[in-house]
Amino acid sequence: MARIVIENLVKTFGAYAAVNGINLEIRDGEFLIMVGPSGCGKTTTLNMISGLEAPTNGRIVIDDTVVNDLEPGERGLGMVFQDLALFPHMTVFENIAFGLRVTKVPEEEVRKRVRAAAAAVHIQALLDKLPRQCSGGESQRVALARTIVTDPAVFLMDEPLSSLDAKLRVDMRTELKALHRRLNATFVYVTHDQAEAMTMADRIAVMSKGRIEQVGTPLDIYNRPASQFVAGFFGTPTMNFIEGTIEAVRGGRLFRSNGLEHSLADSVLAAVPECRAVLGVRSEHVILGESAPLKGTVQLTEPLGDTTLVHFDSTAGNRLVAKVGPSTALQPGSPVSFRFDTGYCHLFDAENGARLH
Amino acid sequence: MALKAGLTPEQARARRVRRERVRRTLRHGILLAWTFFIAFPIFWMVSTSFKDSGEWVAWPPHWLPEAPTLHNYAQIFAFRSIDPSLSRQAAEQAFSIWKGLGDALLVCTTAALLALLLGAALAYSISRFQVGGRYFRHTILTIRMIPPIVVAISVLIYYAILIPYATSGVLGARISLFDTYIGLILIYTASTLPFVIWMMLTFVDEVPYTLEHAARLMGASRITVIRRIVLPLVASGMVVTFLFVFILNWAEFLLALTLTHPEVTTLTVLLNKFQSASEGRLYGPQAAIGTMITIPVVVLGILIQKHLVKGFSFGTIRK
Repeated sequence: MARIVIENLVKTFGAYAAVNGINLEIRDGEFLIMVGPSGCGKTTTLNMISGLEAPTNGRIVIDDTVVNDLEPGERGLGMVFQDLALFPHMTVFENIAFGLRVTKVPEEEVRKRVRAAAAAVHIQALLDKLPRQCSGGESQRVALARTIVTDPAVFLMDEPLSSLDAKLRVDMRTELKALHRRLNATFVYVTHDQAEAMTMADRIAVMSKGRIEQVGTPLDIYNRPASQFVAGFFGTPTMNFIEGTIEAVRGGRLFRSNGLEHSLADSVLAAVPECRAVLGVRSEHVILGESAPLKGTVQLTEPLGDTTLVHFDSTAGNRLVAKVGPSTALQPGSPVSFRFDTGYCHLFDAENGARLH
Repeated sequence: MALKAGLTPEQARARRVRRERVRRTLRHGILLAWTFFIAFPIFWMVSTSFKDSGEWVAWPPHWLPEAPTLHNYAQIFAFRSIDPSLSRQAAEQAFSIWKGLGDALLVCTTAALLALLLGAALAYSISRFQVGGRYFRHTILTIRMIPPIVVAISVLIYYAILIPYATSGVLGARISLFDTYIGLILIYTASTLPFVIWMMLTFVDEVPYTLEHAARLMGASRITVIRRIVLPLVASGMVVTFLFVFILNWAEFLLALTLTHPEVTTLTVLLNKFQSASEGRLYGPQAAIGTMITIPVVVLGILIQKHLVKGFSFGTIRK
């Protein structure tokens, strides 16, 4: 059981600030995923929690203890690394037993706990093998067992699934989620894969350029992104963005961009100030239909089986994507009419990308 | 059916087989000629070591000894009483092969071990903590660009003049490193250290840093991490490096010649001194010593080959 509080955490490498003053509370027993593009500071943050990197500034508190000056081994954490970091010269058994051996656990208990940890991730048959004799998925489990065996209150995971193929990765997501529920420990997980974050996390911390952009549940983040960056990072295909201006009209607001006009006849949107803005609409909220007011020309269709993506250019010159049903008669070159579902429109400040409503 | 080049498939195949045969013959021909070129001096040395004194410089040359003898070996190892007809110096030299062998073993082994310990520790800190900055690892090798003779003369001045002068002035006792085991071991350690660092860097870099991180997170101290994780993984690399450096020392001539005489005598220096007033250069015993010096190098070379493969292929970690 552990709660982690990060206060004003800063890490600089020379003049470069990898982590630029972040504050975050990770609740006891929570599955928190830090997500962001490469170089956003998520792994550096994780390394500071683990003690492998010393913060330049700020505090890390685990269960009311400031751990800044504690050695990595003294923090009661377990970590799974991106490359798994299995010791190649030791058998799977010795790999799992390592943490117990260095803390001088009696031999009999070592055997018992190693077997229990191996059973928890179904690798009892591998104990006498060397890591190089294990497949990708098996190595993954060995790394998990090695972490489980020391019974840490916090599990740190640095992109542990990135070396697996796509199918195995999806399977392991489910297993990790189940493991989290079973162990009831705090999981801090780092990934650049938004799908991984959406499927596994209790809460997601979205990072960019050394800062936290938004913290929230997966649906929160998907439905109410705090900035244009977050909106663009989550969801496939990427959200449609149109730059333009917000103008006051009778009864509300109007978004205008080069001849493309969209009425913001919504009580929430009506409150946004007049300014230069970016309108964001997800592909599933771009509605195609005969009677729709806006016009465009289809450029490309991508059938995905359950849905089809329609890429089209509006008459105003914006390249947009709409998600429609699996069977569509639209072909490249055919004209298309569309509108945006006003209830699902997002408005961001054109200057700093912040959400306007 | 005629193909584009106007050949039937059968003709094309015949042409391919013919070309392959020519290429193979050519390749083997070149390699054989090169092997002969490289191996001939060694063959000549071994052959001469079994020749009697009359055959050493016979013309036309005797490729193989006409009357093979173990006389030269008897002389250098003195495992039977020396023929009284041999010159006095040769009899004395027959004794000194053992001292030369002992000196060479002592100096080469100690210096190689010392360089290995220092170099491995340095390589670790350069690899892990970027000691000396990003380009330090390249800078190290440039030290080897200085011609050994330049080093030899300046070190000679230190060993024979400056250090004795300074110590007699400061300590009141004259301490010289010239013609001492320590002196030769020190200069061998220093001159091979860049190689050790360079080679060990390759091996240490191969061990992912995350292995050490993982071990430390599990509660292992830095010492435990080095003992249980790093050392076992670079062990074969250390063996390779040791053998390589040992061979370098074993074959070294110039520094030993300059910095020792008459107390410390390594085999290469001894080899050079094998001559007598009556017969000039004693090619037979020299060839015998040469053969004896070469055997351990060849054996170690074969060992290195085996370990090199192991050393460089242990990277079983998925990257």
